[in-house]
Amino acid sequence: MSWPLQLLACAVAAASFSVLLHQPPRTIPVSSLIATAGYAVFLLLGKTTLAYFGATLVIGICCEICARVMKRTATLFVTAAIIPLVPGIGLYNTMLYMVEGNYGMAVQTGAATVLALCGIALAITMSSVLVGAFHPRKKGKPC
Amino acid sequence: MDTLSTTLDAVCLASQMILESGGETYRAEETVERMCQGLGIPKVDVLALPTGLMLTVTLEDDSTFSRIVRVRNRSTDLGRMDQCNDISRKVASGRMSAEEALRALRALKLLSPQRRWLLVGASALSAASFTVMLGGSWLDFAVSFFCGGLVQLVLPPLAKMRVPVLISSMIAGALTTLLALVSTLLFPGVVIEPVISGAIMPLLPGLAVTNAMRDTIRGDLVSGGARVVEALLSVMMLAAGIGLMLSMWGGIRA
Repeated sequence: MSWPLQLLACAVAAASFSVLLHQPPRTIPVSSLIATAGYAVFLLLGKTTLAYFGATLVIGICCEICARVMKRTATLFVTAAIIPLVPGIGLYNTMLYMVEGNYGMAVQTGAATVLALCGIALAITMSSVLVGAFHPRKKGKPC
Repeated sequence: MDTLSTTLDAVCLASQMILESGGETYRAEETVERMCQGLGIPKVDVLALPTGLMLTVTLEDDSTFSRIVRVRNRSTDLGRMDQCNDISRKVASGRMSAEEALRALRALKLLSPQRRWLLVGASALSAASFTVMLGGSWLDFAVSFFCGGLVQLVLPPLAKMRVPVLISSMIAGALTTLLALVSTLLFPGVVIEPVISGAIMPLLPGLAVTNAMRDTIRGDLVSGGARVVEALLSVMMLAAGIGLMLSMWGGIRA
């Protein structure tokens, strides 16, 4: 599969997912764009566990910056933007191996999936801490 | 001048709606503190959990008033959360009285959700695009489009019948898998892997995971832990639905 088509699909998927989340209309293109950029980083880094971490870090930082520029909360952008990275295919394969009784492969795929999720979670945390440290919100301002 | 009960009503409703539409607990707590500050209440202590909210206000004469608000239904509606945030911001800066805020919040609560077919279309399109993103062909795109749309058609009636969220997420997983499996009989060219993994993407608890992390780093360990469990359970039930259908299908075919 060629990468421009994958990125286009990623943009459409993230945009329609943000409609599903009832996101305010003005934030939808931003989320979609950040999601696509994040997925591009993920493909560039070679789909490893580290790639999950790196891509989510890029997404998280972009979202925090956009949230400050647009004076909205970062949650609005992050949720739809990280969705393309969530390892759905790993989840499916784990289940498939388990059903087939291939427990060795099931544990292996399952562990890789969980590690990917941990990478994503860690990167979300780090991005909000990093941006918060360099650019703190004024006290009393909502975030 | 607003009465105390109007003030408390407005504050409680705002934070309850934030929790109900999928906001983080620290956001609900900050909303309460901000609004109380704007409405001239000297001291407020608040504890928000994903399933409820407790607050006590102390007035100038040292008398205290408490409220407990239970949060039963949790769904994802970022637009509503954003609007609640807006209202609380206006109250905090003194541009809105408690009564006006209460009226605005009640109107927001009654506001009907987005059109159903728009959501069905969005779910179908996002499932189908995820399938292509994960390496599916155009035939897989069509099958996944159908799966995603059907799941979104089935989920709201299930919610109306008060089927627990975990059960309905298992049903959604099973339904997606069944459709994908049946489609391989009808169209031999369908590759099942990208279809199923694409179609379940909109069902994964993305918001729960993000919120869990955001709550945990803020030190809200109870809420963070609860959300982690929520996210894990919902993924496991989804996987169980897929696994159930795959093994049943294998049993029938064998």
